Amino acid sequence: MDAALFEQMLLGALLALSVYLPLRCGQLSLATPGFYAVGGYVAALLSTGVPAFAGSGATSPLPALLAEMALGGALAGLIALAIGGPVLRLRGIYLAIATIALVEILRVLNLNLPFTGGAMGIFGIPQPFANAEGYVLFTLALLALACWLCQRLESLRLGRAMAAIRDDELAAACVGIDTPRTKLIAFVASAVLAGVTGALAAHFFNSWNARAGSFDASITTLAFVVFGGSRLWPGPVLGGLVLTALPELLRPVGDLRLILFGAVILLGPLFFPQGLVTAERLRWLAGLLDRGRQRGRQAPQTP
Amino acid sequence: MDLLQILVNGLSVGAVYGLFALGYTLVFSVLGVINFAHGAVFTLGAYFTYLLIGGAVGANGLLAGFQLPFALPFWGALPLAGLGAALVALLVERVAFRPLRRRRADPLLALITSLGAGVILVNLIQLLVGAESYAIPTGALGGLPASFPLLGARVRTVQALLLGIAVLLLALLTLWLEGSRNGKGLQAVAEDAETAQLLGIDSTAMVRLAFGLSGFLAGVAGGLVGLSVSIAGPYFGIGYGLKGLAVLVLGGLGSVPGAVLGGLIVGLAEAFVPADWSGYKDAVSYGFLFLVLLLRPRGLLGRPLPTKV
Repeated sequence: MDAALFEQMLLGALLALSVYLPLRCGQLSLATPGFYAVGGYVAALLSTGVPAFAGSGATSPLPALLAEMALGGALAGLIALAIGGPVLRLRGIYLAIATIALVEILRVLNLNLPFTGGAMGIFGIPQPFANAEGYVLFTLALLALACWLCQRLESLRLGRAMAAIRDDELAAACVGIDTPRTKLIAFVASAVLAGVTGALAAHFFNSWNARAGSFDASITTLAFVVFGGSRLWPGPVLGGLVLTALPELLRPVGDLRLILFGAVILLGPLFFPQGLVTAERLRWLAGLLDRGRQRGRQAPQTP
Repeated sequence: MDLLQILVNGLSVGAVYGLFALGYTLVFSVLGVINFAHGAVFTLGAYFTYLLIGGAVGANGLLAGFQLPFALPFWGALPLAGLGAALVALLVERVAFRPLRRRRADPLLALITSLGAGVILVNLIQLLVGAESYAIPTGALGGLPASFPLLGARVRTVQALLLGIAVLLLALLTLWLEGSRNGKGLQAVAEDAETAQLLGIDSTAMVRLAFGLSGFLAGVAGGLVGLSVSIAGPYFGIGYGLKGLAVLVLGGLGSVPGAVLGGLIVGLAEAFVPADWSGYKDAVSYGFLFLVLLLRPRGLLGRPLPTKV
């Protein structure tokens, strides 16, 4: 497969995890693309404007990339921290609409602020890696880290508290879980992940503009999670990978491509209301692998 | 620009937002979800109007050069386009909403399925008639002048029409909701679908009715915007759709007068943004939305939010 497409799929998986984190405690936040755009602008501005980050010529040093990712994630996290308190008092569809509004406000700011390059955006962002394969390896590592953290969450008090809030917020509050704080942590973590991903993506795409964070992107990233499954972290990862690849893989059908993409988004939830990845299917898959392994072990014994 | 001019501009844009939000609110009141295909239905209404007044399709797309064998006056074309849009909205309900309700799936999934339906519709338009923009000639209004003087300002006839039609539709809708059997049925389903069903109201039919009405309103709004501005390509409904969403929450989810009031407020606020800051105009409605959500989450005219215990 084309390494550039694979890199985009990995970025899609990271964004899907960012939508998944608040959903894990029942909060439907569509703010991810807004934070993604912010992270990207941080990286784009630093690496094209500040000599210490720029490196020489068209390349930029890896430590600079890491620093930009940290700063992009930090700024996104700070914005989330500042607005999270009041916004997270909203529930369900109200929260979804408020976060769409946040994305739009950020988009208008990115389009109009004096230093963000207007509609054209920022060009010529230096490359820390020589080719797409370099990005793929780096992003795979980042995705593995994010997945590991999500897996760790399952066994942590914080993760259990988040699951309790998702199932019943009132009951969770009654057993002594600090629900506003837990929801805020999930929201900020989601923003940090999106900001970090944006900083990386800005380098990969080589240019960055306000279209990175739009309403379309909000719904597409939500579709990743709904399509893949919102209960377990492998769901969003799978959804992000598949749905990012789909429009590209459908390129041979030409003009029908986006119509088919729409049909997949329309039909997916109808046939898989829980998403592709559910606990049952994972168990079934594990059982299948187990049986396969046993058969493999038995094979040499029967001549 | 003088004050009256700004007011008229703002109110006519606000009228469109209001019509848009009315469609959202009708569906929201019976199903509790937002129909993201609404913007695509609005866009279709504009294209239907263009075709019905005898407009020809451009050189791109599968229907290149297509023209209906007849040309209707604008007054005939607009309601027909509304009906066409209503049929499409019913189709959207059939494929994107009803299967989920039948399976008792999480209603939030409808956000995704309706978006899928919207993506299909928008790209179907692009496939059929291309991505270019179309203008409905102002001559379509027949003998009416393009603009007329009012208290010292010049008002475009189209703007006055937009406002007038929005107010008329709101009045008719309110009368119908309060006075007719079906209108009351719709309200009953909005209150509690299950109880309404027990009382002998066919709630599935009411949901269909809500979709049909919302499609009609969107189609008419699309035709009017096509006349007053232009049809800027298959995606032009999306921007209005987002504003409509802000208006919907501002007025109060599920509130009919709230949708219109919210639309007028946002339209006016945008019109008063000074020209130097026009880039920030799009942020006004979302800023409002944010404030309202934080200070009064139920919206200006909404009912108190139910709390489930």
